[in-house]
Amino acid sequence: MLEKLKALLAGTDADFADIRYEEKRETTIGFSGPEIRIVGSNTTDGYVVRVLKNGGFSTATVTKEEDVPRAIKLAINGAETLAATGGKKTEMEDVPVVNEIVKLHLDGNPDDIPMDDKIALTRHYNDLMLNQPEIATTNLGYSELGRKKFYVNTEESAVAEEILTTSIAGEVIAKRDGLVQNVRVSVGGADGYNKVLNRDDVFIARAEIARKLLDAEPLKGGTYDVILNPSMTGLFTHEAFGHFSEADIIEDNPTLREKMSLGSKLGSDGVTIIADSTLPSQVGLYKYDDEGVRVKPVTLMEKGVLTARLHSRRSAKAFGEPVTGHAVAEDMRYDPIIRMGTIFIEPGSSDLDELVNNLGDGLYLLDAKGGQTAGENFTFGAQYGFIVENGIIGPMIRDINIMGNLFSTLKNIEATGSDFSLSERGGCGKGQLNIKSAYGGPHILIRNMVVGGA
Amino acid sequence: MKKILETAKNKSDQAEVYYTRSSSGSMSMRDSKTTKMSTSIQSGYALRLLKGGKIGTAYTKSLKNIDEFVNNGCMSLKGNVEASFEFPEHIELLDADAYDPSVGKISYSDLQKEAQKLLKYLEGKIEGLVDIGVGYGTDETGIMNSRGLNMSQSSSFYYIYTSLLFPNTEAGICKMFLNREIEDFSRDEIDSLVEMYKAGLPEVDIPSGKMKVMFTVDSMYGLLWRLSAAAQGKSFYNRVSPLQDKLGQKVLSDKFTLYGDPSAPDNVGRRMFDDEGMPTKKHHVFEKGVFKNLILNLDYAAKLGMKPTGNGFRGGMWGGETVSLPPVPSLNSSRIAPGDTSFEKMVSSMDRGVIIFGMLGAHSGNILNGDLCVGLNPGYYVKDGKIRGRVKDGMVSGNVYELLNNVITVEDTLHDSLMGGKYPSILLDDVSVSAKK
Repeated sequence: MLEKLKALLAGTDADFADIRYEEKRETTIGFSGPEIRIVGSNTTDGYVVRVLKNGGFSTATVTKEEDVPRAIKLAINGAETLAATGGKKTEMEDVPVVNEIVKLHLDGNPDDIPMDDKIALTRHYNDLMLNQPEIATTNLGYSELGRKKFYVNTEESAVAEEILTTSIAGEVIAKRDGLVQNVRVSVGGADGYNKVLNRDDVFIARAEIARKLLDAEPLKGGTYDVILNPSMTGLFTHEAFGHFSEADIIEDNPTLREKMSLGSKLGSDGVTIIADSTLPSQVGLYKYDDEGVRVKPVTLMEKGVLTARLHSRRSAKAFGEPVTGHAVAEDMRYDPIIRMGTIFIEPGSSDLDELVNNLGDGLYLLDAKGGQTAGENFTFGAQYGFIVENGIIGPMIRDINIMGNLFSTLKNIEATGSDFSLSERGGCGKGQLNIKSAYGGPHILIRNMVVGGA
Repeated sequence: MKKILETAKNKSDQAEVYYTRSSSGSMSMRDSKTTKMSTSIQSGYALRLLKGGKIGTAYTKSLKNIDEFVNNGCMSLKGNVEASFEFPEHIELLDADAYDPSVGKISYSDLQKEAQKLLKYLEGKIEGLVDIGVGYGTDETGIMNSRGLNMSQSSSFYYIYTSLLFPNTEAGICKMFLNREIEDFSRDEIDSLVEMYKAGLPEVDIPSGKMKVMFTVDSMYGLLWRLSAAAQGKSFYNRVSPLQDKLGQKVLSDKFTLYGDPSAPDNVGRRMFDDEGMPTKKHHVFEKGVFKNLILNLDYAAKLGMKPTGNGFRGGMWGGETVSLPPVPSLNSSRIAPGDTSFEKMVSSMDRGVIIFGMLGAHSGNILNGDLCVGLNPGYYVKDGKIRGRVKDGMVSGNVYELLNNVITVEDTLHDSLMGGKYPSILLDDVSVSAKK
């Protein structure tokens, strides 16, 4: 395939061009309640072309090979038009020419497992949840998503990499009279089938939380001091800071670029944030990004000071900062944009008891339920939580969503715990879905957060 | 299509082939500099087989081997997924007449000219950055099944969009114009947007508490996601819908009417049939507060012993590859019936409250239960009938069944939503607002 891509790109009338072909194989098994609702294994593919000419940059995506010459023509036309009409001037940071084929390293290859066994495993976890008290229904699915990526550019780089994400994930729904409560569940990763085996405890525990939520009180909205568990810390890190460390978010906003200058003190002294998609066994793992650049671990914030940000080749040149290998696309329908991958806050020294004592009165919030960022503002939700009074964890609460502002919230992190864990599944929707957006960290204590509620 | 269907027919009781082809181009501009020009040409096929009361599915994008594709469907049949429905027979439908061939001739230069025109009109009026997006495209959808159904249609679209950002931020308010061909933007509507932008320039702290809250067109999806989740067949079949056993009952304010109408002549992407070949029509879910109808596809209609409603569409909350997603009950092209009060009168009637122009975190709450807890992005604070500025760090929360029982007024005009659909603004009473002050 790499040779075919070289031939397709040969003779392109541009200063730089690249082409990516992807073959995506998805195996899906879905249950809704006790019923199996979908089973299948399917393959899709397509091409992404990018062209840089006269400082103009343009992209085209196509499904069929016979449309690739047209895609190249359209991308050249886009780049020329953009350059001729005074558009943004683009340059690419120099990177080493690479020629490598990256193979999968799996702890249990799903290809060796018969479909019937995958169905049986998913059914087993589904039944475990359905058999718990007051569980009304479930939505649970097995997903195996393999991407074979082939990348070639006019600088003579040629990279092929295969990545595979396996998960069993969904939700469990408890019901009593007219009240319905749901809790999310997910197990899996980027290193093979064995990660989804022997996980009964996770599914039983999630069903138990859903049932308990039927007795939880809706939270009264207001400003609270909060402790976040590692899942919530991870989502907070992703939404509150991670997106602003993606260079394309601030690249064309002079004020925000100034505010986000490297060396700025944005967080409290105990906050160190790292993006590391090279961590083995994590869902965020990959070796080369979708413009053929090897991904590096990046310390984004050290002791509250901004130390680096995530880049594509284009943004690295525009900022005069090192390339980091974070230009990532959802699949062959998209050109890559800057994505954070695995991101986390480094653990500190406090144990949970100390954090709860220091909190005094406030909320203990657990398990991420989706977040969103727009500019410097962000929200993130918790699946459940507890009222804390005088350093004692009290009754369970529900319906929790938090809002904050990048430039004030990170300074309000008062303490970081000594524990650490990372999510087993991602799902960031910055224009394209990124299922490899892993996140995590320790428990943390944050003062003065606006929490919505009844 | 025909070859696939012929092959699939021989291996099933009934077979259905769905295909989609789309082509689009777009450009983005920030403060007079074009930042991006891109094109996408995509296609795909989906197959459904019915055999012995079971269903098998398959999909692909570039069809390379028909036998392999059909075999994937046969392998899927072995999963023993039950299906008690039949594919529909062919009926003749009106032509959607939703395709304008002039869209196929649009070039990057044309997009550039349209963007420049809007930019020039906004020149000197905005203190922060101005984002403009312009794009066009065509979509073709077709379905054939072994019961003789053979339907296809094309549609075209053109949009121009602007977001006016508040100084030194990435937050702003926006407006999109959507048509089937290149059409000039409305100066009046841009003037209103600029006026509203200026009203939001001051950043204000607000008190927490219960107050009036107005949902505008681009925040309506937060409410509608919750109502749709409860009214669709799957939630009823699993008996987890808050609307269970409430068909025909008044559950919301009599000022609230919600329906879907993909076949409405003014819909840019007008559709005369859903993604299963069922004819679409005006479909009321709530009429004057009464829960009138479920949202059903073929599958859940059969499971519930009801008639399909022409709401089986391939798609999901987060987009995704159309052919890879099975048809699910969806309220496409939704509309809320207009009321009788102008936006200006609604604002001047607010003693104290918040107008939501955009929201963050609508997907985070307990959607099925109707719970909503969202950040204002942006939300404007109103005191004594006048906008005082945009809210700093505010959130609005409540349960959709309580919120929509407290409707004060509904705007007399429908606006195109960025998320699809056409809605008026709705003013609600006694809504919980949380803020830092």
